[in-house]
Amino acid sequence: MKESLIAEFRSIVGKENVLTSSEALKAYSYDGTTNWIREPDVVVFPTTASQVSAVLKIANKEKIPVTPRGGGTNVSGGSVPWLGGVALVMTKMNKIVRIDKENLTATVEPGVVLQDLTLRIAKDRLFFPPDPQSFLGATLGGIISENGGGPACVKYGVTKQYILGIEVVLPTGEIVNLGGRTLKNVVGYDLLHIFISAEGTLGVITKAELKLLPIPPVKKTIMAVYDDVAAAGESVYRVLENGVIPDKIELLDNWVINRIEEMMPIGLPKDADAVLLFECDGISEAVAKESEQIAETTKKYGAREVRIAKDDEDAAKYWMARKAGFAAVYGKAKTVFAEDVTVPRGKIPDLINKCKELAKKYDVEIIVLGHAGDGNLHPAILTDINNKDHYDRSVKAMHEIIEGAVELGGVLSGEHGIGLEKQKFFDKVTDPVVVNMMKGIKSLLDPNNIMNPGKIWD
Amino acid sequence: MKDLSELKKVEQYADQCMKCGFCSFFCPVYQEERIETGVARGKNYLAKLIIKGEQEFTPEMGEILGKCLLCKRCVANCPSKTQIDRVVVAARAQMVKEKGLGFIKGFVFRRAMANRKAMGRYARLMQTFQWLLPKTEGKVRHLPDFIKSLGGRNFPALARTFLREQVKTVYPAVGPRKMTVAFFMGCATDFVYPELGLSLISFLTRRGVEVRVPKEQNCCGAAILFSGDFATARFLADENVKALKDVDYVVTACGTCSSTLKDYKKYLAGNEDEEKRYGELESRVKDATEFIIDVLKVKPEELTLKKEFEGKTATWHDPCHLIRYQNIKEQPRAILKGLKGLTYAEMPNADLCCGMGGSFSVYHYDITKKIAAKKMEGIKATGADIVVTACPGCMINLLDNVLLNKMPQKVYHLLELVE
Repeated sequence: MKESLIAEFRSIVGKENVLTSSEALKAYSYDGTTNWIREPDVVVFPTTASQVSAVLKIANKEKIPVTPRGGGTNVSGGSVPWLGGVALVMTKMNKIVRIDKENLTATVEPGVVLQDLTLRIAKDRLFFPPDPQSFLGATLGGIISENGGGPACVKYGVTKQYILGIEVVLPTGEIVNLGGRTLKNVVGYDLLHIFISAEGTLGVITKAELKLLPIPPVKKTIMAVYDDVAAAGESVYRVLENGVIPDKIELLDNWVINRIEEMMPIGLPKDADAVLLFECDGISEAVAKESEQIAETTKKYGAREVRIAKDDEDAAKYWMARKAGFAAVYGKAKTVFAEDVTVPRGKIPDLINKCKELAKKYDVEIIVLGHAGDGNLHPAILTDINNKDHYDRSVKAMHEIIEGAVELGGVLSGEHGIGLEKQKFFDKVTDPVVVNMMKGIKSLLDPNNIMNPGKIWD
Repeated sequence: MKDLSELKKVEQYADQCMKCGFCSFFCPVYQEERIETGVARGKNYLAKLIIKGEQEFTPEMGEILGKCLLCKRCVANCPSKTQIDRVVVAARAQMVKEKGLGFIKGFVFRRAMANRKAMGRYARLMQTFQWLLPKTEGKVRHLPDFIKSLGGRNFPALARTFLREQVKTVYPAVGPRKMTVAFFMGCATDFVYPELGLSLISFLTRRGVEVRVPKEQNCCGAAILFSGDFATARFLADENVKALKDVDYVVTACGTCSSTLKDYKKYLAGNEDEEKRYGELESRVKDATEFIIDVLKVKPEELTLKKEFEGKTATWHDPCHLIRYQNIKEQPRAILKGLKGLTYAEMPNADLCCGMGGSFSVYHYDITKKIAAKKMEGIKATGADIVVTACPGCMINLLDNVLLNKMPQKVYHLLELVE
C-alpha cells in the first residue's frame, strides 16, 4: 500500500490508531477459525463515524479492500482480510452511549463487547437476549453483522429481532440511519435488515439502537437423560408442542458428556446416549409449572431420568458443563469441523440419525451438541488435516451432513455466517436467482466491491 | 540452525489455543488498549510463528512480549486451558538468549540483584540519598517535580535499617518446638518493610515454630526469571535451594517470592537434577497466609487484632501470585473474616491485577495507572478503611495509586493487622 495513503489514514484517525508493523499485520490475519489466514496491509482503528466515512471514501476512490472487524471471535473467516487492504478494527468505538429505561433500549457503538453491555444493563435489571457464546469477546457490531444467536433464542429469537435501528457508513462514505428507535416502523423497504447478517460486505455499522427486556426474576434448570440421542431430539419438539417454551434447550451427546466428566466431574450420567438441558425463566409460579410440565413430557417421550437443579449454584454447574463442551471438542483433535446447520425443530431426530449413519459410513467420530431448541445443531467431526485419508473422509461426511440438513428443509448456517468457511456450500444450496439478487444489492451499495470482498460467494 | 529450545519446550501449550478470543475480556492490558498484539491470543499466535521461523525477535516483538503483566487472568479463564504465561516467559527467555538482556536490565539483574551483598550496598546508597526526594506523607516519598516526566510516582521510603541487618540466624520456638522453618525475606521485605519480617518471625515462634533465617538466601529472582534471564534466575534458584535446606518448611510474607520459589521447577528446570532439586524446594515452600491456616491450622477467630484496627472495615486485594499462581484465595479471607473487631467487605474486582507486574510498571507506568484506577473503583465501592494484601509488590503499587486517586484508604500487609 502506498505510503501516502497510510499518511492520509494517519491524519484522519491519528498516528496511534494506524498500525503497519509486520507483527500487528500478523495479529490481524486471523479470526476464531483455524485455517483462514491472510494479512491486511494496514490496521486502522477509527473512533468516530466521520473517521470511518473518511477512510471509506479514500478506499473507495483507490479501490482498496476494507474488512471491518470487532473482537475477531467469529468462526466463519468473516473478519479475515482476505484480499488484504485495510483491517478496520472497531474495538476502540466501545461506548455505551445511552440506556433508555423508559423505552427499554440502549444505544451502543459497534465495539462494545456483549458481556460489558450485559454487566452494565444488568444494573438496571435489563438484558439483551441474543446470547452468542462468544459473548466475552464478541462486539455488537460483529454480532449484528453476523446476526448472532445462542441458546436463549428458543424463546427470545436472534439478534435481528432486537435491532431497532443502526447508523451505517456506506462504502461510498455516506453516513445513513436505518430503522429508528420505535418498535414499529413501516416506512418503505426494510433496509435495516439487509445490513443484519451482511457480514460486513455492505457497509460499516457505527452505532446501533438495541431493544432490551427486563431480566426475568426466576430461572430453573432441568436435565433429562436419554438412552437414545434421537429420542432426545424428539423431546425437544414434544415439550414445545405441549405448550412450554423454555428459554434454552441444549443437547450434549455421549461423547461430550464423557469429556466433560473427565475435565470437571459434576455427575453427568456417563452411560447416557444424550442429555437435554432445559432452562425456564419468568415469574416463579410460571417457572415452577413449566418445569413440572417439562419433566412430565420428557419422561413420557423417552427420558429415563429427569433432574431439576436444586438451586442456582446447582444450575450453574450444568451450564458450566455445557460451556465446557466446545472446549472439549476442540481440545481433542488437531482439526475440528464444527458446522452450524439448522433444521426445523421437528427434524432434529432425522438430522441426528443422519449424523450417526455418516459416522459409520465414513468411519469418523461425529459429535452432536448444540442449541437443540431451535434446530441449530453443531455436529463436529474430529480429524487431522495432516492425515489425508481421514481428513478426506471427514470432508465427505461434512458435505453429506449439510446436504442432509438442506434436504430436511434446513439451512447451511444458523448463526456463524458464510464468510469463507462455508463458501464451498453456498452456491450449491442457494437458488441462483437469490444469489443474483444478493449480488445486485451488493453492487448497488458497493460499486467498487471494497467492503469485505471475497466473502459469502467467490 | 536457530536456537528455539526454550520455545520448543512450551510449543505444546501454544498449540492449545483455539483462538476463541475470550482472553480479551480478562486481559487488563487489552482492556486498556484494545489491540490484538496486547492479548494472549495475539502473543500466542506470534510465538507460534517464531517457532515456525516466520517471525523474528524484532524490537517490536520485544515490545509486544514486554506488554504482559503475567497476571494469568487469561490462563485462569481459558476454555482450552492454554498456559500462555509459559509461552510468554519462554519467548522472553528465547529473546534474551538471542539478543542479550540490554545494558540496564543486564546491570540490574546480574550485577545487583543476583549479588546479595552488592544489592544491599546499592539499596543502602539509595537509602542514604532518599532524603533528597520530597515527602508525600509519613514514610511515603515521591519524585520531585522536575522529574515529573517519569510520572508523579509515590513510593515507600527505604528502611533506615534493613531486615538483614537486624535478624539473628535462629529464633527458637517459644515453648515446645513443633517444627523448624526457614524464613525467606525477599527484597521488598528486606529493604522496605523489615518490620513485616520481624512480626512474622515473632508470630511463628510464639506458635511453637523455630525460625531460621539463612544468611546465604538470595533474591527469589522473580523479575529476572519473568524477564527471561534464565541463566541468572537459575543461579539464584541454585543459591536458594542450597540456603533453604534442612528445614520442614520455607515461609515468606511475600506472595511473589513464595510463588517464584515454588515455580523454579516449572519455568527453569532444564534437566533431571534441576527437576529434582527445584521440585523438592517447591514441596516445602508455603506463603505465610497458607502456612498459618493450612499448616499451623490456626483458627482465625483466635487471632488478636491490633488495637489500631478495631472497628475498621477491611477489603482484600488478591495478588496474582497468590490467587492464580498458588491458588491461595480462601486463607487470607478466612483470617480477615475471623478477626474479631474487624469488618470484612469483599471488593467487586478483588482478583484484578493491581497493574504493577514487576518491571512492567517501570516501562508502562501509564497503563499501570489506568489498570490501577479500575482497582481503585473496586476499593471505593466497598467503603473500606483499609486495603489489605499479602504481597509487598502490590502494596507499593496500591499505595501509589491510592494517593494518586486522593483516596483515604491505607494499605497494609495482612500480617500487620495481627498481634
